[in-house]
Amino acid sequence: MTRHPKSLRTSRRSILKGLGAAAIGISLTSRRRSAWAAEEPKLNFYNWDTYIGETTLEDFAEASGIDVNMSLFATNDELFAKLRAGNPGYDVIVPGSEFVERMIQANLLSPLDHAKIPNIKNISPEFMTNAPFDPGRKYSLPYTWLVIGIGYRKSKVKEVPNSWKWLFNSDAYKGRIAVMSDASELFRNCFKYLGHSLNDASPELLKQAEEMLIKQKPNIKSFHEDNGQDLLLSGEVDVVMEYNGDIAQIMVEDEDIDFVVPQEGAMRQQDTLAIPKGAPHPENALKFINFIFEPETGKGITETILYPSPNAAAVALMPESYRNNPVIFPPADVMAKCEYPNYLGPEFSRLLDEAMTRLRAA
Amino acid sequence: MATRTQERRFAFLATALPPIVWVVVFFLAPLAIVWAYSFGQNVSLTEVDVSGTFANYVRALEPLYLGIFAKSIFVAGITTLLCLIIGFPVALAIVFASERWRPWMLLLIMLPFWTNLLIRTYALMSVLRTEGYANFTLEWLWNQASWLMTLVGLQPLGEFTPLQLLYNNFAVVVGLVYVHLPFMVLPLYAALDRLDKSLIEASLDLGAGHLRTLFSIVVPLAMPGIISGIIITFVPALGAYLTPDLLGGPDSQMIANVIERQFKRANDWPFGAALSFLLMYATFAAIALRAYFSRGRPAEGHGI
Amino acid sequence: MAERPAPLEYNRRWQIQAWLFAVFFFLYAPLVALIAFSFNDSKRTTVWRGFTLKYYEKLFNNESLLLAFANSLTIALVATLISLVIGALAAVLLWRYRFPGKTAVEGAFTLPLVVPEICMGVAMLLFFTRVIPWPNYLIWPLNLGSIIIAHVSFCFPFVALVVGARLASFNKEQEEAARDLGANDWQAFRDVLLPHMRPALIAGGLLAFTLSLDDFVITFFTSGPDTVTFPVKVYSMLRFSVTPEVNAASTMLILLTIVLMVIMMVMQSRAQRKAKG
Repeated sequence: MTRHPKSLRTSRRSILKGLGAAAIGISLTSRRRSAWAAEEPKLNFYNWDTYIGETTLEDFAEASGIDVNMSLFATNDELFAKLRAGNPGYDVIVPGSEFVERMIQANLLSPLDHAKIPNIKNISPEFMTNAPFDPGRKYSLPYTWLVIGIGYRKSKVKEVPNSWKWLFNSDAYKGRIAVMSDASELFRNCFKYLGHSLNDASPELLKQAEEMLIKQKPNIKSFHEDNGQDLLLSGEVDVVMEYNGDIAQIMVEDEDIDFVVPQEGAMRQQDTLAIPKGAPHPENALKFINFIFEPETGKGITETILYPSPNAAAVALMPESYRNNPVIFPPADVMAKCEYPNYLGPEFSRLLDEAMTRLRAA
Repeated sequence: MATRTQERRFAFLATALPPIVWVVVFFLAPLAIVWAYSFGQNVSLTEVDVSGTFANYVRALEPLYLGIFAKSIFVAGITTLLCLIIGFPVALAIVFASERWRPWMLLLIMLPFWTNLLIRTYALMSVLRTEGYANFTLEWLWNQASWLMTLVGLQPLGEFTPLQLLYNNFAVVVGLVYVHLPFMVLPLYAALDRLDKSLIEASLDLGAGHLRTLFSIVVPLAMPGIISGIIITFVPALGAYLTPDLLGGPDSQMIANVIERQFKRANDWPFGAALSFLLMYATFAAIALRAYFSRGRPAEGHGI
Repeated sequence: MAERPAPLEYNRRWQIQAWLFAVFFFLYAPLVALIAFSFNDSKRTTVWRGFTLKYYEKLFNNESLLLAFANSLTIALVATLISLVIGALAAVLLWRYRFPGKTAVEGAFTLPLVVPEICMGVAMLLFFTRVIPWPNYLIWPLNLGSIIIAHVSFCFPFVALVVGARLASFNKEQEEAARDLGANDWQAFRDVLLPHMRPALIAGGLLAFTLSLDDFVITFFTSGPDTVTFPVKVYSMLRFSVTPEVNAASTMLILLTIVLMVIMMVMQSRAQRKAKG
């Protein structure tokens, strides 16, 4: 679970204070505005849930004296919708790679001063060079990376379902299939199955994918909202389209579960750290981002969230069982076929959404 | 000294101004921005140009979206009907409860709804899922029945196959009823409370049965409450998106899901605005119709 | 066998009792599951893995969740009070007066019920960032102002509707009689109309409180980093799966509500007994 650091040195007294506040509805938060400091020692971090180390924020407060106020968002769409009209006060955000591109185009991100983030040296070089969504990594740095694949229950499948066929074009697992409800993730992985690049923005290809999925729909039990791991764990379905990190988390609980990246290749993503335009504490934000790339910090984060980390120095500190885990680090030959999604423009977004609406209505 | 007319005028203004000012400043003004967007087009990822185009409405009136509208209205209608059937006896029971018990029954109805909607929906899922409590209970009953049958010398029942209670339209309706029940019970209770019980007694004394009394005395008395209950249940049910998202199957898509996607994933605010406002135009039309048809009746209320 | 219930004692009839039992079972079975899983020794609530209290411990150390909770309660209480006043006035206005443009006003009061949540959320987002930028750095609870305003805007029509339905059954001659006896408008309102509206005010207030306490979408769009509410917090924690910690928080919330209600009712019945004795 996540640590929630309003005031980081949680003492017994402050717990009681919090409790009393909850009971009578009076909270004791007030914005401490210190006129003498260049920037008040505070940072508003907008993150996903359970996506930080157990003690990362406390360690940062101890090292720098800056209190981190972490609030949570649940989807990239929400993050974008919320920042679209103006930044309400966030300093560091964690957008996915596709949204980094969108946000750069929408002029919502501030450029990062690499000179103030010396720990960039700890990041594995491939992530600095291979980033089509943010060339030169001017606006974003990699926090974790992830790849979509198929999570499955070993005792319920005949063979390893290592092709998208089992989800998109086969009745072998009729009624035991769940796929993602996000149009981009769903259709563009279909493009991979159909032998194309997932950045191929041709309406004909989209039509072909739509027809295939409409045919497949009677075999699908649920279009899930990125909670496929729960469906798999609770036995509702046996094959599910999901991110590797999510499946890795439930494999700890259930040995009968495994994950494979389809041989056709799949969509890979990065979650990144970025500073939105209008951030009230940009200097603190740079300090925080630099701190995240400390090897020890990276190790602490990775131990909690079990996602693949681009922080090479942190990975080196991790145990063998993590470094050689084929779910967290799928084989290089499959990963070579995976691609980052580009933002394909508003017109194609509209087509994708319409295709999704038709698919669900069919 | 203030004359009677002045006093009346003051009373009218004191009644009229607060709600009207509030609704204009804090509701119509914000909404007007989105309304303007419905006549606009995206010029960049974050900017909308209000150009006066009707393209969004033309697109919203395509058969694809009208079909989803129709389906949503159907699902919300069934939900409302079920809420009315389930909720009416409950509201009656609250009305007839003694002074002492009434607040407790209200509390019992409301308590589940002070738990967060999402948490409640997940809790409902844990009951309905294939390996959930509903199926566990059924399986236990099934096995007991099977055991009883062997006891009396019959063939045992076959293997229990769990019911598919989740990820279909049935689950969506169950979920919507679960979420909207108090929206029906509360207005019914408010309308029926302190109803003149002597009317019922008179009806019974005159030999009418309980059912007949219910339909000819209680239901007409409750009519205003029934109508407001129907509105309060139907409209939010029509706008529900979380329940179909989480409990629904591949084809459980309601109009609110489509609208939500426009504002989030598809980033097409003008089109989302147009879809939303279609719903509102329909409401206005209904209200205007009602006003038109009630014109013939004797005027209600008195002038200023 | 028990004696036959008197004609009006519907609640002693077995049909009604069975119906009530079934309805309450339907309402509470999922909650029992929820409470049970708050003691589950797993990060998820799908499979039972043994008993633990650790999520309660975590909860009490989770200051930001408690603060979100305090924010939610404050917002709900204030928004309910304002909604009651505005909603009741709106209902009385439509019920008592005839005036030009009445249909339009009635439409405007009904509109907030019909606007899809997300549309209203976006409207409020644009309003409070572009038209009236609400200063998010105000001290508590002033920084909750924009959320409270948004909540009142969607809560008061519910109050107006319930109160309006109640007023429909009011015998206007009673009020006229009070006036004829020399009461002014205010006195007639206070002594005759208000007591009649009471059950509707209770029901409407409960509705408004529930809606405000549970709102996610509109609050999400109006909240900033320092004004997180319980649903916003829970929603971001739950979107992908349920955690027992959230169940523990809900269990505590249920307990807290029960305790508060019991205290209120005991006080009320004491006051009543005093008034009688």
